[in-house]
Amino acid sequence: MSQAILNHAPAAGRNKLFDRVCVPIISLGIPLLIWEFLSRSGLINDFLFPSPSQILGVLWGKSGLQFETGILYGHVYASMMRLLWGLFLATVLGTLIGMLIGLTRWGKFIFKPLLSLFMPVPTLAWTPILLLLIGVDNKTTILIVFIAASFEVILNVIAGIENMNVKVFWVARSMGASRLQIFFKVIIPGIMPYLITGMRLGSGYAWRALIAAEMLAASSFGLGFMIYEASEFMDMTTIYGGLFMIALLGFFIENVLMGMLEERTTRKWGVQVER
Amino acid sequence: MNQDKIVADNVTMRFGDVVAIKDATCNIKEREFVAIIGPSGCGKSTFLYVIAGFESASGGRIELDGKPITGPGPNRGVVFQEFVLFPWRTVMENITLGLDIQKVPPKQARKRAQKWINLTGLTGFEDAYPATLSGGMKQRVAIARALTYDPEVILLDEPFGALDVQTKNYMINDLQNLWTEANKTIVMVTHSVSEAVLLADRVLIFSARPSSIIADIEIDLPHPRGAEDEAVRDYENQVTRILSAEVDKSMSMERRAAA
Repeated sequence: MSQAILNHAPAAGRNKLFDRVCVPIISLGIPLLIWEFLSRSGLINDFLFPSPSQILGVLWGKSGLQFETGILYGHVYASMMRLLWGLFLATVLGTLIGMLIGLTRWGKFIFKPLLSLFMPVPTLAWTPILLLLIGVDNKTTILIVFIAASFEVILNVIAGIENMNVKVFWVARSMGASRLQIFFKVIIPGIMPYLITGMRLGSGYAWRALIAAEMLAASSFGLGFMIYEASEFMDMTTIYGGLFMIALLGFFIENVLMGMLEERTTRKWGVQVER
Repeated sequence: MNQDKIVADNVTMRFGDVVAIKDATCNIKEREFVAIIGPSGCGKSTFLYVIAGFESASGGRIELDGKPITGPGPNRGVVFQEFVLFPWRTVMENITLGLDIQKVPPKQARKRAQKWINLTGLTGFEDAYPATLSGGMKQRVAIARALTYDPEVILLDEPFGALDVQTKNYMINDLQNLWTEANKTIVMVTHSVSEAVLLADRVLIFSARPSSIIADIEIDLPHPRGAEDEAVRDYENQVTRILSAEVDKSMSMERRAAA
């Protein structure tokens, strides 16, 4: 089912701090400093490449920390809410469909061909249909997140069920477990590491798809909308600021948010999902 | 003597064209420790799974307490070679799983588990997760888990097979009193002659495929036994003689199949 690993961190605190904080600061800081210098000195076009300090200044100006222009907050909030709702739907429905495929013959019969058929379709290709069906609405972008994330959730849940050792069920049955007890005490916790892997991968795809979809199907809010609108006004600094926020939040979702989920389950259990 | 607990009458097991077990017949008495030994691939584990109710026999009759076995049930506890622990449950939660399923209140379940935790030498590891344990410790958890929900029959499927020699020898010695204390009907499948002779009251020898039971040797020695005892050695030689003839047969059969 999975490979057990022992978790211990023998590395000294100083080295860990150095690796996790100092190295990224240096490796990101040097190119930024060079960019800052080139842009300010006029060696590169400062309209197309505004300096990092200008970009940060614009972000600060749009942030909610400054009264009356708290516009950035609205964009971040809109994107994050769409992502979380879409992820929630993908997790619930994806787990359900994955379990139907993995556990029942009719589920496999109904959903497996659909899955294989629609897997190669880029999520964004659904946008025109959704726009016609729903229009420019939060529902459209939430559904894009749902579509982008659910494939990974479904596939990982199926993998989790397929990788389960039949003897796990035997042990439970020889204790007199009912079907319901096997479902809640064996299957659900057993697929958990796979579900979390699916959510982590799915959230990454979904974030990328969401930003793109917001350019096509969002009115007035969302980070994708923010940079799309800025391009119409040729506001390069806001575009870069938006990209910066997208990168930062994407990192936060995939590593911090999903990392927290992993910390409480797979890492505590010493279980690792191979991919 | 006690009455029959498990009765197998001409049990046959087919997988497609392959006849794994043919006409296996034996009686296992209540509170008897029976070891099943045979060449590898002879279907001895399959026979154990038939008793457990995981597999159903293709032919013949198999009964527990005079009733035909139709599926697994809480009157039989199983310990597998690969431990099969639940990684998301701590040692204590793994061991109390059977009682949890049977809806025994948690407090009472933990109290009942503690007895077997102590007897299997797991004291102090109650809150550890299986991933942090060595193979030997994992197998102790699996054994304690099977004993805690108090089944009448314990089925051991090569319980020491996945352990290194040192750990295995230590565990066999260390757990000798456990089986006496458990006082249950125990059926153990093994490929180790010394394991069988050290632990069991009776050793059943399976033939090469299609397997049937070709010898039934009573080990008439008091427990606990020492691996170096002369009487134990004599029994080992006796079992080994019969077994090696069967191993020769099964090996030449494999070679013929390959040729």
